[in-house]
Amino acid sequence: MAFEVISRMESGDTAILTLIGELDAAAAPDLRREIELLASGDTVTRLVLVLEELSYMASAGLRALVFAKQKLGARVDLYLVGTQAPVVETIELTGFHRSVVMLETLELPGQATG
Amino acid sequence: METLTLPGTLDSLAPIREFVDRAALAAGLERKAAYRLRLAVDEIATNVISYGYGEAGMRGELRLTTKMDTHTLTITLEDTGAAYDPQEALVPADLHTPLEQRSVGGLGIFLSVSGVDEFRYQREEGRNRNLFVMHRTPEAQTEGKA
Repeated sequence: MAFEVISRMESGDTAILTLIGELDAAAAPDLRREIELLASGDTVTRLVLVLEELSYMASAGLRALVFAKQKLGARVDLYLVGTQAPVVETIELTGFHRSVVMLETLELPGQATG
Repeated sequence: METLTLPGTLDSLAPIREFVDRAALAAGLERKAAYRLRLAVDEIATNVISYGYGEAGMRGELRLTTKMDTHTLTITLEDTGAAYDPQEALVPADLHTPLEQRSVGGLGIFLSVSGVDEFRYQREEGRNRNLFVMHRTPEAQTEGKA
């Protein structure tokens, strides 16, 4: 399955990226481009990745998370929403779950959104 | 035994994963094991394409074969790129370091080698050969085709 990223801003400082399909080394540049666009625009304090429809993520996806932290600043909070079980396993095996907030659904602190 | 030969480019990763999925299905691997095998082969193939061919300024193909017996499914990935044993790059990764301070090399190899039941590397006649072995469960052995 191909890879797709849908990007939108919410409440001015929250960037929401919805990732669909399979995130491998061939697809990762698409995600990095979206992250670079965010970094060049308004101040982002929260980056939310909606992963409900992401069925596969290789280490290239993990590197994109590191890239996001480096581009947007270490103080940006990173949220992963609705991550599928096999992808969760990869994130936990590599210790990335300690640096991101894993959420079941898209309900950010201090915000009621759907 | 089935084989698949593809160009050593990133576009080949998706068909490689499909090939591995079909083999995992035929061997009756559980979903979790099938996903780990797919990830393992994808990561090493990515390394070969990016470094073994790409950075070394070489071009070549990736050749995959599957072999199934009563107890195991083995996927073999061969390339003619620069000699590279993934196990030598398997240093203890900094899995506890915050993301912004991480060096991100070695993550793929870590996921690959630790995700399969057995990993082997051979260098022979100018070829790298990576072997990924998964144990078949007793149920799969009765139901599978081997």
